[in-house]
Amino acid sequence: MHAAVLRYRVMAYITGVVLMVLCFVGIPLQIAGHPAVANDVGVVHGILYIIYIIVAYALARRLRLTIGPTILLLLAGTIPVLTFVVERWMTRRYINPAISAAEPAAQPVSR
Amino acid sequence: METPGSAPVWRFLITPRWLGWHLLMVVSCWGMLWLGDWQLHRALTGNGLSWAYTFEWPLFAGFAIVFWARTIRDEFRIKRGGGQVLAEAGAASAAGLPDGLGTRQVEEPADDAGDEELARYNAYLARLNAEVNSTHGKRHGSK
Repeated sequence: MHAAVLRYRVMAYITGVVLMVLCFVGIPLQIAGHPAVANDVGVVHGILYIIYIIVAYALARRLRLTIGPTILLLLAGTIPVLTFVVERWMTRRYINPAISAAEPAAQPVSR
Repeated sequence: METPGSAPVWRFLITPRWLGWHLLMVVSCWGMLWLGDWQLHRALTGNGLSWAYTFEWPLFAGFAIVFWARTIRDEFRIKRGGGQVLAEAGAASAAGLPDGLGTRQVEEPADDAGDEELARYNAYLARLNAEVNSTHGKRHGSK
């Protein structure tokens, strides 16, 4: 569980940052007539997004998400800023509950 | 598999909700393949950058199909007496107690992550039981 979450988080942050660079640096430069940054960063994001999808899907299965949240999670890697919002939401809504459920020692059970 | 008098398991696939998912699936796959085709044309007309996207879009379409197929397969498993399967998995895992509880399972999602959670919970229950029986109550909260 921890490994899957860590992989997802690392990829979410990397993909999110690259996507923001693409959208808020690359695209304005492209419009201003310098397409090189957008082109290069675009390809990098494309490759990172493939990895992101694999990692995020693995996490979605681990958390047994339903279809809706899974699709949102996968698409989050393509929409700037949403990547980070979804990461926070995932952590609060699914990851933390799953971790506390998987570690019984954290919640002593009385008989 | 189906019990007499109840609807066949696969019927859930034609509920409005699932038909909606199928439609979304077909449309999105068609869209992604269309985008890939468009990028291929751009690549052939000299846009070298489009080669990356030419392969990327079909790949995404492939991901979508895999995701869709696995979701349906999971749904089938849940619908047809999943409870029994889960219980068996739990019993099998509980037998291999108590070293390194669940560590391997965490590292290897395999195809049915669903069973593992339950297996680990059952393993935990069995460990508690074992602790109580051997009066090693001190181990409570030691982790």
